[in-house]
Amino acid sequence: MKKIFKTLSNRYIVFMPVLLVLVVAQVETYSQLTTSGTFGAAVRLAIPILLAGLGGLYSEKTGVVNIGLEGMMIMGTWFGAWGGYTFGAWQGVFIGMLGGALFGLIHAIATVSFQVDHIVSGVAINILAAGVARFLNVIAFKDVQYASSTASPRIQGDIEIFTMPFLAGGKIGESETFNLLGTIENLDIFLLSDISAFFLGFLSNISYLTLFALALVPVSVLVLWFTPLGLQMRSVGEYPAGSESLGVNVYLMKYIGVTISGALAGLAGSYLVVAGTGTYLEGQTGGRGFIGLASMLFGNYKPFGVLMGSGLFGFADALQLRSPQAVHGLLIVISIFLLILTFKTFFEKKYKVSILSFLFSAAFLLWFMNSTSIPNQFVYFTPHITTLIVLSFANQRIKLPEKIGVPYKKGEIN
Amino acid sequence: MNLAIEIENITKTYPGVLANSDVSISVNSGSIHAIVGENGAGKSTLMKILYGMIKPDSGSIQIFESNANMSSPKDAINLGIGMVHQHFMLAKNLTVLENIILGIDKPLLKNIKLSKYKSEIKKVMDLYSLNINLNQYIDELSVGEKQRVEIIKVLYRGAKILILDEPTAVLVPQEVKELFKNLKELKDKGVTILFISHKLDEVLEIADEISVMRSGQMIDTVMNNNVSKIQLAEMMIGKSLPTPPPRITSSEDEEVLSINNLSSIDEDGRTVFKNITFKVHKSEILGIAGVEGNGQKEVVESIIGIHPLDTGEVVFRGEDIKKQSTRERLESGISFIPEDRQLQAMIMDMNLTNNVIIGRQNIEKYKSSLGTVKTRNAAKESEKIISSFEVKTPSTNTLATALSGGNQQKFVVGRELEDNPSLLIASQPTRGIDIGAQSLIWEKLRNSRDEGLSVLLISADLEELIGLSDRIIVFYQGKLVKELDADKVSPEDLGGYMTGLKK
Repeated sequence: MKKIFKTLSNRYIVFMPVLLVLVVAQVETYSQLTTSGTFGAAVRLAIPILLAGLGGLYSEKTGVVNIGLEGMMIMGTWFGAWGGYTFGAWQGVFIGMLGGALFGLIHAIATVSFQVDHIVSGVAINILAAGVARFLNVIAFKDVQYASSTASPRIQGDIEIFTMPFLAGGKIGESETFNLLGTIENLDIFLLSDISAFFLGFLSNISYLTLFALALVPVSVLVLWFTPLGLQMRSVGEYPAGSESLGVNVYLMKYIGVTISGALAGLAGSYLVVAGTGTYLEGQTGGRGFIGLASMLFGNYKPFGVLMGSGLFGFADALQLRSPQAVHGLLIVISIFLLILTFKTFFEKKYKVSILSFLFSAAFLLWFMNSTSIPNQFVYFTPHITTLIVLSFANQRIKLPEKIGVPYKKGEIN
Repeated sequence: MNLAIEIENITKTYPGVLANSDVSISVNSGSIHAIVGENGAGKSTLMKILYGMIKPDSGSIQIFESNANMSSPKDAINLGIGMVHQHFMLAKNLTVLENIILGIDKPLLKNIKLSKYKSEIKKVMDLYSLNINLNQYIDELSVGEKQRVEIIKVLYRGAKILILDEPTAVLVPQEVKELFKNLKELKDKGVTILFISHKLDEVLEIADEISVMRSGQMIDTVMNNNVSKIQLAEMMIGKSLPTPPPRITSSEDEEVLSINNLSSIDEDGRTVFKNITFKVHKSEILGIAGVEGNGQKEVVESIIGIHPLDTGEVVFRGEDIKKQSTRERLESGISFIPEDRQLQAMIMDMNLTNNVIIGRQNIEKYKSSLGTVKTRNAAKESEKIISSFEVKTPSTNTLATALSGGNQQKFVVGRELEDNPSLLIASQPTRGIDIGAQSLIWEKLRNSRDEGLSVLLISADLEELIGLSDRIIVFYQGKLVKELDADKVSPEDLGGYMTGLKK
């Protein structure tokens, strides 16, 4: 018994909640936890966070803290909407990226060339972007119908939607094909149906823009870890003086990293507009840039880690939107998970943590037993609290780039 | 014999400082040439000029008998010059392989041919008999291994001239031996080595020729076989050497500090140190030897209460102080010289007077009845320290950052000895400072010891440890492995215990 809990290392304990969710989803009331609809929504909601997180990754790997992601994302929403209204959906996406990249460049000029403190510059960018977006909106859409100071008119056209043939019942030409995963999902077999639903979420009715965003995850791994450019970018975040002594252009690498970061945040913003609302709305980003940063930390500065972190947030967000009822089921998941943690920490002799976990576990259990639903205010809060809880458990072994946030002056040896 | 390097009449001035004045030197190809001098003598400036990091005001450099005009390290690398810096230029979270090949390819979006590089680097390693695992992260390597990575790095870039800046400063004797073996191998293969040091024994052991620098000038270049250590030292400091006075007093029986069964385990469950028991007597210097990271730093930090303890007791003058706060401990008569003067001992952006007050803001002398700080008393105090420790500074209002390392350290030691403590914990008290400041600090520590002070001394400089201490205890992997009589131990023996080779 003791051995089991001790070998339950931190690496695997992350998967415990997944298992628990699967079990709880077997109960009729909470079946929405693992339907393809939920997963599909989760993917759509996760993408902006994924893109912001990847953006943060490019910047922070080169040693520049990018708290300005939110601002760059705001620029993405406005430029995306303007481009989409003026030229069309895909052009909107591209122009949104340029808008974000522009603000990334401003951040780079401030932090790299002028050695402004990274946080100061980032906060300035967040404030500036909010103002600039509104200013531009008023100017650009002054006499346009359906536009106001806080909203743009609707963009032209849409991004096409894709459904995989055979696996998810997509069309080839005009003829329908078999929907394999959907059929399995409807059979209600434990685990198998849930897994099918999971993949169906990725393969059915999915925007090409979403596929493009997902493809950026492996692409980022290749760029950062398997090209000379990526190697130089990472080295600059670790030890710029050393890189400089080997002929690496430290400033250029940082400029590239921060500008890519801005472009990805801009892409995240334009995704919200082009694949979501169809218009720019003030306050539309809703702090997703910051959550992107959190998912980057959760992912320990690895692209696939960012994917997992943003997926988690997207899942919680999808739940609260689609079925507040199912959120109630998460209470028992949390309760059981905390109970496991209680034992684990007890055998590790961390008694304070153990007792705290136990008390919270009991509290969640009581709450679960004595209610049939969760108050709406809490439901709305689910994604954020989930991120917070997971972050605080998973976050203890983060490998930060060594010289992150440290301004670097050319020719300086330290 | 061909000349590898010929430097003629190099001059370099910084605002107010003449770093290099009319320096000339020639180095034979395929030899080991040492440059010795005190800190601030201009060795590092000269090497930076040679490596293209700094442009000289005047003078010329010839590499392999052709004019070299370098404006960046890249030019130097292309001419076959490689430099191993004192602080390793390595990225901790990258692998050995990544560190070696960094900067070779243009930063493009194409596949890196890792296996091609790997086999090429293996060839270089075989040629010069250097060995390292290319897939390890730098973080996981020992100091000696990191240095080897640096050497492989410059050799792989085709370096024919190797500049080593204070290469032995961070190594234990066994690692030094290994390094020297490697250097001789490199020399046999035709590599020219420029070796910068202020440790004369090592220079005499390895170098063919020795150049001495003092206050920016080249004093002389001599062959190794017709010079003695004392001659070299006198050339270096420009006057005859002070000899350490023999010990005249002996320690008393009274126990000032007694450590019983101290253990600490970190958050990951790793043992930081375990079952540490020792005593420090009145009028005694107890030296602690250990390679960095073997728990000795944490033990002394737990004595003053900045490192957590799991079990054991810390008895200071008959009283268990384990429950006391760090401030209470400091005020009860323990003084502490931390190992990093710029991070822990001083606040660099404050003036000297304020640096005297830090940590002492609650003692009678500096506190008025209104609870404000009596700056005037502190200013008097810092003047006293400045005069008795020969700190070179324009005034007490000078910022700490404006002082040289040696003067900062003298000031810190002066501050810690000022209130007549009964126990002084000195962690690396003379690390990286010049000989003058070093001998002054040694003298002050000895005098205080003779007047009844107990000292707990941690040092990576084994000669200092043996020369100052009465007894020496050795830490290895978090345990106290050996107690030695300082009069009867050699640096080699001590190094053996520190690396676990001897038991």
